[in-house]
Amino acid sequence: MTVEGLRKFFFTKQGTVRAVDNISFSVKRGEICGLVGESGSGKTTVAHTLVGIYEPTGGRVFFKGQSISRVFSQRAKSLKKDIRIVFQDPGSSLNPRRSIKQILELPLKVHRISSNSDRMERVKELLRMVELPPEDYMYKYPQAIGGGEKQMVAIARALASNPSFVVLDEPTSALDVSVQAKIINLLMQLRQSLNLTYLFITHDLSLMRNIASRVVIMYLGKISEVAPTVEFFQNPFHPYTKMLLSSIPAVSDEEENLKPKEVILRGEIPSPVNVPPGCSFHLRCPQKMDICSRVDPTIVEVTKGHSVRCHLFSDRREPT
Amino acid sequence: MAQLLEIKNLHVGFRTFEGELKVLNGVDMVIGEGEKVGLVGETGCGKTTTVKSVLRVLPTPPARITGGEIFYRGKDILKMKPGEIRSLRRGEMSAIFQDPLAALNPVFTVGHQLRDVIKYSSRARHGKHLSKKEIRDRSIAVLKETGMPDSERILSNYPVQLSGGMRQRVCISEALSAAARLLMADEPTTNLDVTIQAQILRRLNELVAKRRPSILLISHSLGVVRNLTERVYIMYAGNIVEVARTKDLFADPSHPYTKALLKTVPKLTGEGISQGIPGRIPNYLNPPEGCRFHPRCGHAMPICKKERPALFILGDSHKVACFLYRR
Repeated sequence: MTVEGLRKFFFTKQGTVRAVDNISFSVKRGEICGLVGESGSGKTTVAHTLVGIYEPTGGRVFFKGQSISRVFSQRAKSLKKDIRIVFQDPGSSLNPRRSIKQILELPLKVHRISSNSDRMERVKELLRMVELPPEDYMYKYPQAIGGGEKQMVAIARALASNPSFVVLDEPTSALDVSVQAKIINLLMQLRQSLNLTYLFITHDLSLMRNIASRVVIMYLGKISEVAPTVEFFQNPFHPYTKMLLSSIPAVSDEEENLKPKEVILRGEIPSPVNVPPGCSFHLRCPQKMDICSRVDPTIVEVTKGHSVRCHLFSDRREPT
Repeated sequence: MAQLLEIKNLHVGFRTFEGELKVLNGVDMVIGEGEKVGLVGETGCGKTTTVKSVLRVLPTPPARITGGEIFYRGKDILKMKPGEIRSLRRGEMSAIFQDPLAALNPVFTVGHQLRDVIKYSSRARHGKHLSKKEIRDRSIAVLKETGMPDSERILSNYPVQLSGGMRQRVCISEALSAAARLLMADEPTTNLDVTIQAQILRRLNELVAKRRPSILLISHSLGVVRNLTERVYIMYAGNIVEVARTKDLFADPSHPYTKALLKTVPKLTGEGISQGIPGRIPNYLNPPEGCRFHPRCGHAMPICKKERPALFILGDSHKVACFLYRR
């Protein structure tokens, strides 16, 4: 999956919301790419554009070499089968009036994956895949099961059509850590056994550290830094990344030592209707220079695979 | 340290059509004067119920306090008359809740809501009536203290016009302007982004250091609690399972539940994700007999199914409710 210069604007009475503004990144086959940002940074808009819920305002998306920058209704069915999404809130993404069996049957019917006779078997298989005993869960309704189990059902639904690419839009942020651990483990196992590629969207950097192979940081509709995970956490470049890392509440001293020191936190993410001129982060940036409020920096690759969009690095100097 | 609040063997149930949900199952807790205490547990373990019982704002029915006592400076809150508890809430203790949009009234301006809090808390505490100007000055001052930008303009805004972080600052302002002694913060930063969370927590910490109220910080995030408190209670299914100084708890967690919980937190050091805790939080309609954690516990012994463990003393102010530590 390659994204080139993707833009998505929403036109409202208050003005144009530049939710996603000219972003480019790629997800390699079989990897887990982490997309991280605060709320309002445009993560979910990216997800929705990739699966075709929104039509991009500009830019192109390629999937397996084929351009897919169209809305869902115009996409080929085989594409819909291949790219699936798991939403953040399982409570509102599952139809409360349908039993779990019915929920899981729908994609099977739409994509004509199984004949009427063995559909039941496939539903059971899907439930077993997410470690829910089919006998106990098939005829239940979403309201009768817990939040973690609902998310398991949502995952099973996404996997029903044998996709190769799954967008996970904050699949665990509404859940407790103990449940989160279970779901993450399951997702990792499924990736292995089914050969899946994930675009994992989250605001939780410590979670990213443990699962992703590459991390993309978004701020206000733009990418501010891309790096391989280990590199990203050991040697963050962008001041915003440092700010994010330093605000993670740590549970041990070893963790505390890994956080960047003496970063002053201030401000909130501005409204994407009035994007500040120049670098969109300059209002909160502790290392602001004159140029930052005038010129928007371009993204440069500082070391191999590690790119950053910041004037501090625009002449490719090593950080001082 | 003098005791400010003491909860003794508190039992709270909720009546439903299916029967009585036995949620709090004998909670014991002590908060000292000027002490910063944390309360940690998963969703649905009874953290908020505990706070609401202390404030006496639990809707009864369906809730029912079936046993126990809550002493506030030696007086039992549960036996107070409505007038007494009201003046306590106005002048002595206050709470910050998780969702600031739900906690603030959407049809009144921030200034209006803050004015009411300041007016009545001042009356309750000093019996003093403040003039309009005094109230306004105090509102602005307290908003500034929480780091609110442009606080004069904010007074005429409605909650919906503010961002999540700003709303929570308003709630903190209200709580601070009322609370003299006890501040209960119920997941104050759960709905916020990490950068905003860090700012709010730091500000809260500064304000607490300046005004020295006792604080009960409730959270499901162990990291937040570690940075802000001196002592921590771990709660599971309506029971306190472990209590220790914050430092000791993170260095040497003892209860199997505490250990498992700490393991499930994703770490920056990148050790991978643990398997999680098997099973789920019990049904309160028919909670397990004995220790409520035994169906999920890897060390369960026959006695765990029959008897409820008392809090065994491990060390200086470190107690744990688990038969593994019985001597």
